[in-house]
Amino acid sequence: MNELFSKIKIFYEKHKLISFGIGLALLLAIPALFPKSYIMGIIDRILLYALLAGGLNVINGYSSQFCIGYAAFYCIGAYTEAIMSLRLNFNFWILLPISGIFAATAGLLVCLPTLKLKGKYLSIVTLGFSEIIRLIALNWSGLTGGPMGLKGIPVPNFFGIKIKSSISYYYIFLGLVIIFLFATSRVIKSKIGRAWLSIREDELAARSLGVETSKYKALNFMYGAFWAGVAGAAYAPYTRYIDSTFFTLDEGFNILSMVIIGGMGTLIGPVAGSIVVNLLTELLRPISEYRMVAYAILIIVMMWLRPQGLFGASNSILSGGKIKKKEERRKKKEVVV
Amino acid sequence: MKKVLSVLLAVMMVATILTGCSGGAKESNETSAKGEKVVKFGLLAPLTGTNAEYGKGFQIATQMAIDEINAAGGVNGYKLAIEVADSKGDQKESSDLARKFGDDKEIKAIIGDFASGACMANAPIVDAAGIVQLSPTASNPDYAGMSPYTFSIMGRQDAEAPFFAKYIIDKYLGAKSVALIYINSDWGVASHDNFVKGAEEVGLNIVAEANYVQDEKDFSSVLLKLKAADPEVLVIFDQGAVPQIVNQVAQLDWDVQITTLGPGTSQQILDLCGKNAEGLITSTPFFFDPESEAQTAWKKTFKEKAGFEPTVHPVVAYDCVYLLAKAIEMIGDGEVSRDAIRDNLQKAEIEGLAGPIKFSEAGDISRQYLICAVENGQFVIKEGYDYSK
Repeated sequence: MNELFSKIKIFYEKHKLISFGIGLALLLAIPALFPKSYIMGIIDRILLYALLAGGLNVINGYSSQFCIGYAAFYCIGAYTEAIMSLRLNFNFWILLPISGIFAATAGLLVCLPTLKLKGKYLSIVTLGFSEIIRLIALNWSGLTGGPMGLKGIPVPNFFGIKIKSSISYYYIFLGLVIIFLFATSRVIKSKIGRAWLSIREDELAARSLGVETSKYKALNFMYGAFWAGVAGAAYAPYTRYIDSTFFTLDEGFNILSMVIIGGMGTLIGPVAGSIVVNLLTELLRPISEYRMVAYAILIIVMMWLRPQGLFGASNSILSGGKIKKKEERRKKKEVVV
Repeated sequence: MKKVLSVLLAVMMVATILTGCSGGAKESNETSAKGEKVVKFGLLAPLTGTNAEYGKGFQIATQMAIDEINAAGGVNGYKLAIEVADSKGDQKESSDLARKFGDDKEIKAIIGDFASGACMANAPIVDAAGIVQLSPTASNPDYAGMSPYTFSIMGRQDAEAPFFAKYIIDKYLGAKSVALIYINSDWGVASHDNFVKGAEEVGLNIVAEANYVQDEKDFSSVLLKLKAADPEVLVIFDQGAVPQIVNQVAQLDWDVQITTLGPGTSQQILDLCGKNAEGLITSTPFFFDPESEAQTAWKKTFKEKAGFEPTVHPVVAYDCVYLLAKAIEMIGDGEVSRDAIRDNLQKAEIEGLAGPIKFSEAGDISRQYLICAVENGQFVIKEGYDYSK
């Protein structure tokens, strides 16, 4: 097995473009392999949550600002898309970035008064913000339909093809996830990304080295919120009906659990988290009542054995120092030998 | 470590897909092995989560109906079967399961889900799959009209709320001024708006109104506001919070005629309010009449199987199965297809356990209502179904 992996690795390093091409072709062929709309529905959900968990990971994993109320930005994106397409007949493709920008603006608004807050204090603020947004959606009946929700959200139109089923929607979610992964990998490697990482590892040290922490933290929050908005905008026409019960705190915790299980601080972590959590939900369906117990045990075991998550950044403070200690011990032994 | 994990993930993915496919195939073999013709329904119900009580009720009541029908020889030579799926009361899970039922050619109709939100999210899915989604309890007035395949037998609020205004407040109580307190949910707002329409027709004076969000516990401030307007009658539009509101009215020493739209003859009101509930008036489409043998027997069987007292919700779920059975019976010798069930369901008429059912063009029904009051710690029927005629 290991040989196979190392061969694949060598091949990948030699022919990066070809490997990406093969990967993409495989991904594009998935709907042909699974023509059942049920399975495609689950794959769509995995992709949607990969996008959401990825966005949250940018905030929680790359700059260590701990956001719990991520569902708020998701909610803003979904309602922006729904309201603008129903009232103003805006095109879905234009609304994707617009919804993202709305969510990012909201992110900035939360962020500005809380720049000095850290850790759990910031978490509590985002928690409250999430509830406020949900209550606005529930009570501003004139705009959001209140408890009646918004129904009949128009489906996207791709050069005359109406994207209706979970199979055709797969390509939208897939496209968004690929764009997200590409954009984020570029951002992380840029000056901005390095500033985020330095804030994560040690904010004081970062500031003493001349990193404008407030500015970069705000940017980080906005970037994460932007992708939640985009995910919301993609989700609203997918279900074609939204109301405030979609965006409760539970939804935020659900996304957070994917980030934690998958691993913070890497691009692939949240994608893995989304796959594991959503597949578990389906696999454990037969044991209905005990499903949530299994889920909780998974999180506890994760925290215990791999605090940085399945694919978490093991060389950072996120791993809780466990990995570092092991390595140090090994090095010491080597020295002795 | 990472490699092992990625292998694990891949195995899991393949495993889900395989189990997903093979599960369906196995079941079809089983049914054909017995040599019986089977019509299978899918049930979407929240078996876990906050609404689990109702989901369990659905599961037990539908199974009761199916056992009865099968014991009596089935419908047109077909035995009925049901596949239960736990939607957790979550729209996304419910949608996934609706797609699963839609893909499974064995499933001829879907019963469920419990909450309006989930039903409405499923509407485009069942519309595309061409399968009936018959909800026992979806209360959003827009739901049934969303697709030809969506049906609800909860009863439209534009029937009950005006009935409440015209016949309970105006005719039965002879009151002229009312105060309203309602829950801010799809059901609460629709009921409130329809009540106001009915009240305008008979010239009722709505002196004050207030709403609250789900899970609120302390109503004293809103009740004080309503008390200040000094109405003759207070109307509460809710299901869950009615006992708390009734008790808090009593705590305020407010001597007002309380009426409530929504909970029906809920046992909880009697248990939690005691003396405070005395004289409370409510409307209900259904009441377990202690004198009716059929209903008492049904209630007893349900309680034996479920371990808790039935509300109106399992009763309507029970009626759903009979309604679908009726539709299959009406197909006659024709093939039992999803579309045939839809077409006949639209025309089907039955005398259900919870009253007569006949669909409107949109796919929902107008129910008739009883007026009940609490006397000596018990609900009693004050006026029958024909009071509004």
